[in-house]
Amino acid sequence: MKPKFFALGLMLGLCAGIHAQNPIIRDQFAADPTARVFNNRVYVYPSHDIPAPEGQRQDWFCMADYHVFSSDNLTDWTDHGVIVAQEQVPWGKVDGYSMWAPDCVEKDGRYYFYFPDAPRAGRGFAIGVAIGEAPTGPFRLEAEPIRGVAGIDPCVLIDDDGAAYLYWSGMGIRGARLKDNMTELADELQTVATPQGGTVQVGGRQMEGLPEGFKEGPFAFKRDGWYYLTFPWVRHENGTETLAYAMARSPLGPWDFKGIIMAEHANRCWTNHHSIVQFKGQWYIFYHHNDYSPQMDKRRSARIERIGFNTDGTIQEVKPTHRGVGITAATSRIEVDRYSALSQGASLAFVDSLQPFRGWFVSLPGKGAWVSYTDVDVSCLGADAYVVARLRANANTRLSIREASVKGKIMAEVPVTVESQQGAFRRDQRGQWLTLALPLSAVPKGCITLVVTCEGEAVDIDWLQFKNKPLYFMPVDAKAAAAKPDERGFIRRWKLMEPLPQDIRSNTVFTDSWLRGKFAQAQQLPTSGKRKWHTLESGDYNVRLFHFAEKWGKQAYGNLFCGTTVIESAEDIEGVRLAAGSNGASIWWLNEEEVLLLAGDRRMVEDDGVSPRLTLRKGRNTLRFALVNGPGLSDFCVRFVDERGNPVTDYSIPSIK
Amino acid sequence: MKTSRYFLIALCMQALSAEAQIGQPYIHDPSTLAECDGKYYTFGTGGGGLISDDGWAWHGGAERPGGGAAPDVLKIGDRYLIIYGATGGGLGGGHNGRILTMWNRSLDPRSPDFHFTQPVEVCASDGLEDQDAIDPGLLLDPTTGRLWASYGTYFGSIRLIELDPTTGERVRGNVEKDIAIDCEATDLIYRDGWYYLLGTHGTCCDGVNSTYNIVVGRSRSVEGPYLDNVGRDMLHGGGRMVIAAGGRMCGPGHFGRTVIDEGVEVMSCHFEADFDRSGRSVLGIRPLLWRNGWPVAGERFRGGTFEIASERRGYALELAVDFVRIQQERERFWNMDLSKPLKAIPDQSLEEVIGAWPKGEIAVRCGDYMFRPHQLWTLTPLDERGGYLSNPYFKIVIAGTDRALAATADLELTTTPSFTGADEQLWRVEQLTDGTFRLMPKRIPGQQEPNTRYVLYSAADSTPTLAEYDFSSDNSKWTFRDK
Repeated sequence: MKPKFFALGLMLGLCAGIHAQNPIIRDQFAADPTARVFNNRVYVYPSHDIPAPEGQRQDWFCMADYHVFSSDNLTDWTDHGVIVAQEQVPWGKVDGYSMWAPDCVEKDGRYYFYFPDAPRAGRGFAIGVAIGEAPTGPFRLEAEPIRGVAGIDPCVLIDDDGAAYLYWSGMGIRGARLKDNMTELADELQTVATPQGGTVQVGGRQMEGLPEGFKEGPFAFKRDGWYYLTFPWVRHENGTETLAYAMARSPLGPWDFKGIIMAEHANRCWTNHHSIVQFKGQWYIFYHHNDYSPQMDKRRSARIERIGFNTDGTIQEVKPTHRGVGITAATSRIEVDRYSALSQGASLAFVDSLQPFRGWFVSLPGKGAWVSYTDVDVSCLGADAYVVARLRANANTRLSIREASVKGKIMAEVPVTVESQQGAFRRDQRGQWLTLALPLSAVPKGCITLVVTCEGEAVDIDWLQFKNKPLYFMPVDAKAAAAKPDERGFIRRWKLMEPLPQDIRSNTVFTDSWLRGKFAQAQQLPTSGKRKWHTLESGDYNVRLFHFAEKWGKQAYGNLFCGTTVIESAEDIEGVRLAAGSNGASIWWLNEEEVLLLAGDRRMVEDDGVSPRLTLRKGRNTLRFALVNGPGLSDFCVRFVDERGNPVTDYSIPSIK
Repeated sequence: MKTSRYFLIALCMQALSAEAQIGQPYIHDPSTLAECDGKYYTFGTGGGGLISDDGWAWHGGAERPGGGAAPDVLKIGDRYLIIYGATGGGLGGGHNGRILTMWNRSLDPRSPDFHFTQPVEVCASDGLEDQDAIDPGLLLDPTTGRLWASYGTYFGSIRLIELDPTTGERVRGNVEKDIAIDCEATDLIYRDGWYYLLGTHGTCCDGVNSTYNIVVGRSRSVEGPYLDNVGRDMLHGGGRMVIAAGGRMCGPGHFGRTVIDEGVEVMSCHFEADFDRSGRSVLGIRPLLWRNGWPVAGERFRGGTFEIASERRGYALELAVDFVRIQQERERFWNMDLSKPLKAIPDQSLEEVIGAWPKGEIAVRCGDYMFRPHQLWTLTPLDERGGYLSNPYFKIVIAGTDRALAATADLELTTTPSFTGADEQLWRVEQLTDGTFRLMPKRIPGQQEPNTRYVLYSAADSTPTLAEYDFSSDNSKWTFRDK
């Protein structure tokens, strides 16, 4: 059980942000991902599949340039743009479209970017070098490719002693030591006769001990004294590529073949190409799949999985997943189509088959169908959290969002009503994508597995997202220290009465005389006794009574609100005005005298109306208000201003009893 | 009493016709006016919209699928982008709003090109947040080519998002930004280094008691902050009035700006209630003026009797007839008898001078304004002769006569002894953004196309002519001054 605990601990450690899903680059193709860690940041150097332009083979690989992507959490990837393009390569064909799998390593503060390209002269591939001062370049291109290296898929391993080795693919997998300049092979080249009757100079040597069958894309790394040579390998006749590996005690072998890291892609995507890297203590494998191009496997996308080692150094086989690695924050979009598990009959499809980069959705065909998604960090959710779901259905149905399992505790029940005859408004939203929001009935803690179960007719799910409501109010303890008005003078600390429901359909009834009658009653209400009062600090300059009513009222709309606060001044402050804005009508009393009436259908406008010039007395002053509203988001903002309209802030607001 | 009652009725009729666009301009939440193949279109809440051949007479018939509330339309390249809220802003349920965009190559339902693309959702409100995703307005930033939309209602904030001007879709990774509260039916415009956010304040949908009005804030950045004229952020409820109730119409809302020509702009809106049309909600189009960098709705020009003063010199447009001296008993100012009672000297009357005027055509010129009959012009709107975005055409006659100002084939001016209704006697009167006016004959005799180039123009201080409109020159501009 130890490894399991270890993994769990790791996950919790990473809880903060990692929620990569596969594929990781979602706005373009990104094949052959070589991941490197420089300065605690992961850089991915993929090859960049593009749709073939006119005149190029339409059904073949087509790459014209390289981008580099980086992330410090494996989640949020920054595209640093093009670092090398084919027309910049001094020795390369400007229209070769052969910028296949690259690599990039750091040595002595310089970054060496290795890439294959079709040379202007001759046939096949050569491997070039570009040198930069940063992982993202700019890179300066060497005038010539590396002499003696005819092939593709360069990979460089820098050993603990600083020696660098280049591996590439060209009639099998070859390897050679590099000179300290990183741009030339260390050993002398051999002259070999070509079938055409000429000669070529060839460097390096075939890697020995590897199995029969097509191999390419070497990726070498070192771990605990073992050298690993990993590579795509076709193990069966007419098969497609697996990822396989061999181990050795020296960098250029001889190699001891160990087996498979990842089996063939189930959909017969012919290629796979990978890299293996350790980041923040965990090893990851980066590889590719034709996620966004299911009809054509020459347009591929990078993915990540965790990878583990046995105690003897051998590698545990990895299964490709949609879910990928890391923890998904509950407040980010949870693409459940990147599922961890799916019930029988459930399926995936593109949201827009003409635009695959828009992603997928999950179809749950009926009652009992489900999809699960692991490692969702819900610790960021508060008690008022809710869930937003993007859904589509052809008939009214229901979903449950559960914790842990198909029969797990329900966090939210989501009625999906696509047809209704509500009042005067007929609703027919069959077959339309809808975004629904529902409060949570239970808010779990920690990292959970999310399970969405269909409780009725078929439903499609694009994504889920949990949200916290903004912090509208913070409770204020009776022993709390005195507060100050905020920077702009707004008074945020109030003792508010639970609202009195009113039957108000239109705010045009708020005439001065009607209000004075209504507010006269309000002034008489005791601030203690039967009706409940709450002492609160508003989260913003305006006091959002609407949300106070949502939480503590009988109804959200149509309420009479009352509140009071205390202004404690060290001395008399003369010539100030009370400045208020309210939605809807409000009245303001300072030391039990009416100083301001905002009548009519009001909106909360800063400094909408002000009182006559007043004196804030030395010591305690009582400020009271009553506010009435029908429809509308009830709120107010109030402050004291001076003769010039500038905020008055030199007083305090003690805790209110 | 009979005559005066008729007179009153006539006055009302005139008021009715001069107050708003004619026809059946009934609409709520009109989109910014769009032009397609020589016709104007605007779309409203619900499904349909209005069409006009000339901008003055409007009728139903525009088509927009998707229902919902408050669309906006913007021509980008050779296509029209339509953005609309698919929901009803709390009317049809909650505040679970959705905003969609779609394209069409034409706005004319009878055009073979008329075909809406599949709508694409660009933003939504989740129903539990303080926001309602309806009421979108579009801005294609002329300085950057970037496309923005503002949306939202009183239910929470007004938000800004960025769209891709080639697809109409949301820009990938774009995050909504709150830019205002306490308004709805917003629109963004750009002018002269400033971005303006126009929002509708007050209450809608309460007929003649609707207090809807349009306010504005401005910013150097499209992303705000939008401040009003006293520096108050629209995020705190700020806003400076652009247009409120007036002219027997109340509740202007849903601003749209249309630039007709350099210095010639109008704003479109609806009025919640037209007091002369059963309190119905109608399309309104007003001149849009710019004062110290702030947009203000101009008054509708209703006609009347005025001096027509050149902006060039301040001289008055007048008939080229003999100046007739008014006889006066003179007192030397150094020898006045202060005990004599004062008496009023009557204006020179038309009857005193008209007999001496030639009977045929009389030329016009400009001269010192002396409030004499040959300098007083009566402008009368002519509903039945069509119009343009802000008004019907006017006839311009010497007050008390039928002698009409007319354009000539050689791009000069004359007056004809009587108004015949010919196109060269019909005048388009438009208030410019600086408050002055341009006057443009409907047609130049001998020219096939309606005239959109030549305006009443000061060739010299004393010499009016017709010449190409040029906003940068005071020669193109005139003001109407009360007698």
